[in-house]
Amino acid sequence: MAHKTEIGVREQRVTQKTLHSVDETLRLPAVTPPVTYPIETLVPQVRQQTPAVGQRVTRPDGRLHGLGQTRYIDDLAFPGMLYAKIKRAGIASARIKRIDTREAEAMPGVMAVLTGREIPVNSFGPSLKDQPVLADDRVFHAGDGVAAVAAVTEQIALEALDKIKVEYEPLPAVFDPLEALKDDAHKVHAPNSNIYATKVIKKGDIDKGFAASDHIFEGSFRTQMVEHVPLEPHAAIAVWDPNGRVTIHSTLGRITLGRADISRTLKLPLNRIRIIATIVGGNFGGKNEITQEPVLALLSKKTGRPVKGVFTRTEEFIATTTRHPIIMDYKTGVTKDGRILARKVRLVLDGGAYCSWSETTLGKACILSAGPYKIDNLLAEAFVVYTNKTMTGAMRGFGAPQVCFAYESHMDDIAAALDLDPLDIRLLNAFEEGSPSPTGQVLQSVAVKDSLLQAAQRFGWKEARK
Amino acid sequence: MKRRGRGIACMWYPIGFTVAANPSAALVKVNEDGTATLLTGTVETGQGSLTVLGQIAAEELGIATDDVHVISADTDTTPMDTGAIASRTTYVTGNAVRLAAGKAKAILFEVAAPMLGVKPDQLEARDRKIQVKDYPQRNLAIGEVANHAQVVMGQPPIGAASFNPATVALDPETGQGKPFSTYVYATQIAEVDVDDETGEVEVLRIVAAHDCGTAINPMLVEGQIEGGISMGVGFALQEEILFDAAGRQINPNFTNYIMPTSLDMPTIEVDIVKSFDPTGPFGAKGVGEPTAVPTAAAILNAIHNAVGVRITSLPATAEKVLAAIKAKRAPAPKRIAARPRQLGR
Repeated sequence: MAHKTEIGVREQRVTQKTLHSVDETLRLPAVTPPVTYPIETLVPQVRQQTPAVGQRVTRPDGRLHGLGQTRYIDDLAFPGMLYAKIKRAGIASARIKRIDTREAEAMPGVMAVLTGREIPVNSFGPSLKDQPVLADDRVFHAGDGVAAVAAVTEQIALEALDKIKVEYEPLPAVFDPLEALKDDAHKVHAPNSNIYATKVIKKGDIDKGFAASDHIFEGSFRTQMVEHVPLEPHAAIAVWDPNGRVTIHSTLGRITLGRADISRTLKLPLNRIRIIATIVGGNFGGKNEITQEPVLALLSKKTGRPVKGVFTRTEEFIATTTRHPIIMDYKTGVTKDGRILARKVRLVLDGGAYCSWSETTLGKACILSAGPYKIDNLLAEAFVVYTNKTMTGAMRGFGAPQVCFAYESHMDDIAAALDLDPLDIRLLNAFEEGSPSPTGQVLQSVAVKDSLLQAAQRFGWKEARK
Repeated sequence: MKRRGRGIACMWYPIGFTVAANPSAALVKVNEDGTATLLTGTVETGQGSLTVLGQIAAEELGIATDDVHVISADTDTTPMDTGAIASRTTYVTGNAVRLAAGKAKAILFEVAAPMLGVKPDQLEARDRKIQVKDYPQRNLAIGEVANHAQVVMGQPPIGAASFNPATVALDPETGQGKPFSTYVYATQIAEVDVDDETGEVEVLRIVAAHDCGTAINPMLVEGQIEGGISMGVGFALQEEILFDAAGRQINPNFTNYIMPTSLDMPTIEVDIVKSFDPTGPFGAKGVGEPTAVPTAAAILNAIHNAVGVRITSLPATAEKVLAAIKAKRAPAPKRIAARPRQLGR
């Protein structure tokens, strides 16, 4: 008997293996391998988890993550599902003269092709609606999508992209934010100015502050463009049902705003759109606005089939938002014992081709740019400019990591020049409970000095300085 | 030769949107057995926010975190939420969850009061029981009360609430106003080795002391800090999107865009600063984004401390650091020997 069972199991395994290899060859949605794991879970006893706040409780999703059972978008499949791919412009600034999709449409396995002109309202954005879903008339940066394909396999969709012929008329472009600031620079979104948002924080009188200072220091700093690089790329599946309702499974981090943007672009009432966000494999600010969702929805409408789109790693870099490079100029007046009397800050943010979350980033960077310090006389001015590069948007810190690099480097330079310990100059200037912020807000639950002292203590700062 | 340096950086960071309304709503249902279901429109993006929200609901209802099932992120079924952005989930959504759970609890108290022969305001919820304050011997299991509420009294214990942080619009000319309801603070200290022959920087150790108000789940706070530091290390030393002259990215892949790996990670020591914000749920504020803010500044100050060069543009790649070290060394003019050296035979 035992012998027979053994053969049965082996046969099963062979069948599973064959099934998997067939799946892989055809790139069909994989058959989930059978897993054996303990089904029983512990019910916590009273007082093990109460009171709940302050407990290092394990995550309810931790078990699924640990067992590899969490379903991300790419783990989902629906019957008859198609795969979408988007053709990227590859040219930073151009006018689209002609798009010929006939050859792609004629390919076996290609179910639909979509261009920007078919999108009911082809613009979106969290503040300025300056971003097209797919470029229709103009290309503003090299990562712009110009056409999309839905096909029965990913490979066919990719091959079809090559068959789409786009004729461009190259236009002038501007890539450097300081160049873009100049009056005679190429206007990215002509006739509008390249400077699309500004922010000013004014407090006290900086001229008086500088006049009263014993020393004045200046410093210039700049940061680079980086990507969020979440483990899971942007992914979504759109299912347009016969009631004219669309369900979108998406990696969006903000489903409320996402639904509003999809409603606008599709010209569809909000109650006909359902967004289900699964457990997202990392956001860091990069998944706070729609990307391919309207494209997938329209392809699903065209084909009557569910349509999945998963960005490649390259698309993550070139076609989603990134962190703002900022050029930061600081000027600070201090007394001889290191107290800051006045500070002037000028920030120029590289906004890339579209606004995205630039206004928020600009505002936060400007407000935070003086640092967590008591400064009575402050002038902080910030500008964000369009360039023909990948758009910059929300990313963990909204401008704060950039300005922190500047104000803290500047602080150490001042400390070194005055022969002060970097910890002491910070303690001397740091906010206290009730200090006014740069915007005049009375601050509460302030813990900057506590954090300085606690970190220094833990590190052994004073000992290390000797 | 490797030279060691230390650098400090502190920061402040706001919770929630700049002035703009960013509300969250939540709905809490207590089941007949005293377990609960929480509905929230926020999205779990890996940070553990649903765990924290479950803990807040559990704390308010006096039950265990595992007693709360959290349903999230579906525009058809969950209440409106501004989303996983601006380090706002624990503070804003957390406040909404606490208020919603409080409303469900009020129904339970109303039902339990006559059963226990006291007034509702004399009751508290703790350890899966509803008990009389200062006389805990008189109590009822929360499941018994919930069942009685629904099955006998016809009052299912359900609560819904929303929260929006209080702000004051900024003056357009001076920028004066109250853009945020609350802020968090942090300090990170980095210890690095800089090889003055190659310019290579190795981050050895980072001490991070973060204020997040009450830490609802200290383990998840530590997780956020460790993740933030890894992003900070990449921002400081390695990562940079590069463009060609035509404005096309030249390194949109992991071969040429260098992310820190586990091998690049320093030893991280985390300290959670004791603090309490009366406007937050159980005193909590938030921790998501701030963890990535001071890391690069601390590392760059440590490089300055180690080799005396100030790198003013990120990332501080080995090439950049080495060039700065070379530029700093007094460029002694090349001297030509008065007598030609005799070559050996």
